[in-house]
Amino acid sequence: MKTITFNQIKTSSIALEFDEVIPDNIYTWDNSDFDAYQVPIGNSRFPITDFFDIVIEGEAESPAEVKMVLNGDYGRVKYIGCKMSAGEIIVNGNADLHAGAEMSGGKVTVHGNVEAHAGREMSGGKLEIMGNTKEFCGASYIGEWRGMTGGEIIVHGNAGKQCGECLTGGSIHVLGDCDILAGIHMTKGVIEIDGNVNRWPGGQMKNGNIIIHGKVGRLLEGFVEQGIVTDPEVQGKVYPGKYIEYKGDIALNGKGALYIDAEKNRDRLSTWIEEDDEYNAIRVYREQ
Amino acid sequence: MEYILKNGIVYDPQNEINGETMDIFIKDDQIAESVSDDAKVIDVSNKIVMPAGVDVHAHVAGPKLVLGRLYRPEDSRMGVSQKTKIERAEAGFSIPCCPTTGYRYSRMGYGTVCEAAMPPLEAKHTHEEIATIPNIDINPVTLFGNNWFCMEYAREGRIEEMAAYIAAMLRVSKGYGVKIVNPCGSEAWGWGQNVHGYDDKAPYFDVTSRQLVVALAKANEMLGLPHSIHIHPNDLGHPGNYPTTVETLKSIKEIKKSTKKAAKIRDQTVHNTHLQFHAYDGTSWKDASSGADKVADFINHNDYVTGDVGQVTFDETTTMTADAPMEYDLFQISGLKWANKDIECETAAGIIPCIYSPKTPVGTLQWAIGLELFLLVDNPWQICMSTDHPNAGPFIRYPRIISWLMSAPRRMEMIENGEVHKWSHKRTGLAGLDREYDFYEIATITRAAPAKIHGFPDRGALTPGYKADIAVYDVNPNDFDPSRNPEMVERIFTSAAYTIKDGQILVKDGDLVATKPSHVIWTDVKGWEREEAQVLNEMMPFFTQYYSVKWENYQVHDHFLSNPIKVEVPAK
Amino acid sequence: MSYEPPVTDYDYIVENCTCAFCGCNCDDLDFLVKDNHVVAVRHACRLGASKVMEDLDQRLMVPMVRNEEGVLTETDWDTALDTAAEYIANSIRPVFYGWSETSTECMKEGLELGEYIGAVLDNQATICHGPSLQAMQNAGYPIQTLGEVKNRADVVVYSGSNAMNSHPRHLARWAVYPRGYFRQRGRFDRTVVTMDPKFSDTAKCSDMWIGFEQNGDYGFYNAIRAVIKGKKLQSESVSGIPAEDIYELVDVMKNAEFGVLFFGLGLTHTLGKQRNIDIAIKMVQDLNAMSKWGLTPMRGHFNVNGFNIFMAFETGWAFGVDFCRGWGRYMLGETNTIDLLVRKEPDCFMVVAADPGAHFPNGANQHLADIPVIQVDIHWGPSTELADVVLPGSFISVECAGTSYRMDGVPIYMKKAIDKPETCRDDEWIIRELKERVMKLREETNVAEKYVPNPIMDLKRLEKEE
Repeated sequence: MKTITFNQIKTSSIALEFDEVIPDNIYTWDNSDFDAYQVPIGNSRFPITDFFDIVIEGEAESPAEVKMVLNGDYGRVKYIGCKMSAGEIIVNGNADLHAGAEMSGGKVTVHGNVEAHAGREMSGGKLEIMGNTKEFCGASYIGEWRGMTGGEIIVHGNAGKQCGECLTGGSIHVLGDCDILAGIHMTKGVIEIDGNVNRWPGGQMKNGNIIIHGKVGRLLEGFVEQGIVTDPEVQGKVYPGKYIEYKGDIALNGKGALYIDAEKNRDRLSTWIEEDDEYNAIRVYREQ
Repeated sequence: MEYILKNGIVYDPQNEINGETMDIFIKDDQIAESVSDDAKVIDVSNKIVMPAGVDVHAHVAGPKLVLGRLYRPEDSRMGVSQKTKIERAEAGFSIPCCPTTGYRYSRMGYGTVCEAAMPPLEAKHTHEEIATIPNIDINPVTLFGNNWFCMEYAREGRIEEMAAYIAAMLRVSKGYGVKIVNPCGSEAWGWGQNVHGYDDKAPYFDVTSRQLVVALAKANEMLGLPHSIHIHPNDLGHPGNYPTTVETLKSIKEIKKSTKKAAKIRDQTVHNTHLQFHAYDGTSWKDASSGADKVADFINHNDYVTGDVGQVTFDETTTMTADAPMEYDLFQISGLKWANKDIECETAAGIIPCIYSPKTPVGTLQWAIGLELFLLVDNPWQICMSTDHPNAGPFIRYPRIISWLMSAPRRMEMIENGEVHKWSHKRTGLAGLDREYDFYEIATITRAAPAKIHGFPDRGALTPGYKADIAVYDVNPNDFDPSRNPEMVERIFTSAAYTIKDGQILVKDGDLVATKPSHVIWTDVKGWEREEAQVLNEMMPFFTQYYSVKWENYQVHDHFLSNPIKVEVPAK
Repeated sequence: MSYEPPVTDYDYIVENCTCAFCGCNCDDLDFLVKDNHVVAVRHACRLGASKVMEDLDQRLMVPMVRNEEGVLTETDWDTALDTAAEYIANSIRPVFYGWSETSTECMKEGLELGEYIGAVLDNQATICHGPSLQAMQNAGYPIQTLGEVKNRADVVVYSGSNAMNSHPRHLARWAVYPRGYFRQRGRFDRTVVTMDPKFSDTAKCSDMWIGFEQNGDYGFYNAIRAVIKGKKLQSESVSGIPAEDIYELVDVMKNAEFGVLFFGLGLTHTLGKQRNIDIAIKMVQDLNAMSKWGLTPMRGHFNVNGFNIFMAFETGWAFGVDFCRGWGRYMLGETNTIDLLVRKEPDCFMVVAADPGAHFPNGANQHLADIPVIQVDIHWGPSTELADVVLPGSFISVECAGTSYRMDGVPIYMKKAIDKPETCRDDEWIIRELKERVMKLREETNVAEKYVPNPIMDLKRLEKEE
């Protein structure tokens, strides 16, 4: 096991790019390699040791035996763990764009907030974010219709817009709230949201599953109510509780399933609407 | 600069040189009989020397290419490489950006490419792109197959006016020849429809596809253009379309080839492009099978026809064609993002990403039909290498196709070990074909024949006085069995040992060592000025009313031409 | 507006000039020239005419450099160019922004410089139709030339676009009023629909006005798609529009012989952004199964589309292309000007024929105030106040020729009508000079020793699909 600890000395307003500093490349590196390595910043490269005090402990035979510990503020360090296939990266602080993007294995943990594109096009491994993340978490590259295909993303805070865009596999679990259009264009996989969703979950989804435990704001016309289900089983996992099940997005003959918590979203139930006095009163008023 | 390519093993089909060891002399930008003592000697002993490649049909520049690049950033990302001192950063796989296109053709030993579809309204754009592509010469052919004026001339049988119109439009758009795509069909697409078969009419235009094609062929021969009509017939990609293809070709039979000088180089009066897409039997995809044997049989008995294949290469690519209704059909099947571009009074184009997988029945059937056509057409001068880039696959796959053509065992291996779907042998005759191309035939289908078909008087051969466009490949054909080494074949044709363009060494050992600006080749018809003025005068009120630009701004100004090579055609 | 008698006092007329204002690129303008000055413009709309005629209003005439006291002072070309070149040569994260009001010939020089130094090249699409480009990258792009609209269209929809005010001749030349080949009665042969929360001037001359609520675009289009698929709506109204109105609208759309959707920033910049266009494109694709439909984004500047097209054929991406590592990268939120500025990354900013000072959000402009800004433009504007070096260019299509691309992608060669002021230079010349000077000052960045082909090209990408 080899532990490489990066202790930040100074930050840069222009982002550092860490796509070359992943376990797959650096498992054989010793201090002299890091001394010689220049990290890309903008159109130039600068010694990585200008920015970090790097401590190496232990030996590694393969990338899987590498543990990178990143201490400090990495809010301007892009591509942490991008394209990694094995090993572990722990960020004690915030991370910039593309954390864990295109990773195929290993684990990235961020004890802070992460910028956009976290876990973009992941095909394996695990990305855990203790804070919030921004747009396009677990999304695809722009124009690409095949997004994240495998692996797992766990966001303990909130996720931004278009979380799990074009999801084609794997799972995303957001423990906080989710902004608009979670799971847009998704074709496979699972998105679970513990918090509330303000608008339009599952826009233009073809297939796959979205489970929302919180309150849903606006729902799209493309979703058709299927009725109430109890303890539904989705891809081998049981989600306890009562849910309203929707199918959609019907606008493109989608077969996706959207489960939203029945208790918190009572007002959505067509049966509830029929017995709700206030709602009926409005309808009668409108018809006049 | 003078060079001697010493001791190469030369394949030059136009001069009937088949694997002779000889020296090639280069003086400045031309091949020479001899050179002075100052000439630099390049030792190419035990290496293959061929004229530089000529691509008979590809889509490399123009509005629909850029639409593809605009809307497929994920394709651009697939082919990125870092810039070097010599070349700019590359990008793109199936639709590489312009500089990349030039570099990759150069590395394969190519020198000339035909851009196969240029709409006159956006010809300036095509020329801007051509000027951006380095290293290769490009002759763009202008689209006439759905042109409103041509449809009217064909309906009224006014061949002479049509010829004058073509002459004028070639000058306006700086085009090389007459391209026809899905005649009448793309006009029907203006209303979301298509034509079915060769005798169908476009809505509101009382003219059939047959009338239009025959009229254009007659006009082409009347002018005596260097290239024949270049046609993509109706019903592309539909099962059971081979009769349409044969009908189309048959209808040209009676038309006499021009006896004028510019038209002398070629033998054909019609070039049918990407035949593979036009050689399907059956009635639907359920019972589709190969019609390659029928199409090949027709070509074998009719020497006025040439074609190129449009070989499927099993890649994720981008299909783009002026056959817009067909692209919408494809979109309905695949559901992937669909782009379309209709151009007023002229044409339409559709684009979608397409994945040809060896595991799917349809893709495999297309792959097998393409190979069948290569193997069933007896005369290699009548069938050319193409993938209809990027439609059936990117042009960088030509070496792979060559490896399939040179190795019957490789083809059988693919069929037998299940690398390709079983439709490849269940529904085609590919498994029964053991013909293998030799280097001489490869040289024919990749350089000599395409140059002859396009009527180039200055390339496609190693004749003294021709352009010094030469490719050298690092293999000794005398102690190498391509049949047993398909991977090696692919490798040697992927990176040329030398690519020489206009007497300048651009590639050495597969690496680019220099770049140069491209030439654009266009046809200037002389002697029709009075007729041209007359038709323009006649069409001008219509143009002013129904086009969206002014006539002055419609024409391609000399400003846009990149080192033009003007082919003058004294038509009268 | 009072009556203005026609201008009769002029030396000569230059015909078929192109208007350098909006994305319509009207190429039928006649310039009336007197004493090397355009005194009147025929055929242009008021926007275009005033831009052409008042070309000397607040015109930047002389190069300027900001001195140590922070005051812009006039200087000679050499000093100004050297100062600018030095800023660029010393930068680590340069951004070259703008380009939409200059020619592709000028862009070519700019791109060479950008690739050499490793800059981000971006244009106004990043703040206007960028979402449209992103959407077409996701969903597709069924477009047609404007002549097709004139000749065929019988249903024209403006969504989130007030063409009457922003592209005044759009309705007159192509979409609404003209007599086309299959629409000989002009306006009477067309149904015009405006979808806009505002009862705009375009809505006033439309047959239908759909005033859906702000930020309701995505939900509204989703409902339209569902209705096209034959579904009955669950709610009585969607985004504030009663269900029966949606049925009626879909009926009109489905029965069109040739329909066109024109959309503007009202669609690209409300909640959902690129996804609003995404779903609108999908709607157009659905409609093609039963009718013939196309769409066109209402591009703003006359060459904003030109930059996207130019960049696509030169580099493979349309806008926001980052060359800092020696190859092209295009990534939403990472290589776009606003994101970079708000993140305070750029350390040198060149603005060519654009006015970020007027258009950018405050956070972005704040950073511009902190870093060297080089302005290449013809008019004084808020960006001049931010600029450290000002290089006065020339007016494309009036004083200088060049190529531009209309909103539908039709290229137009804009010719020169008069001479530029003596102290100004052509944009193309300025950028070329800058390029040459930067090349002397700094070695090319991030050049690879040897060409390394991208390994992905040889991988069978099909595996991902299976």
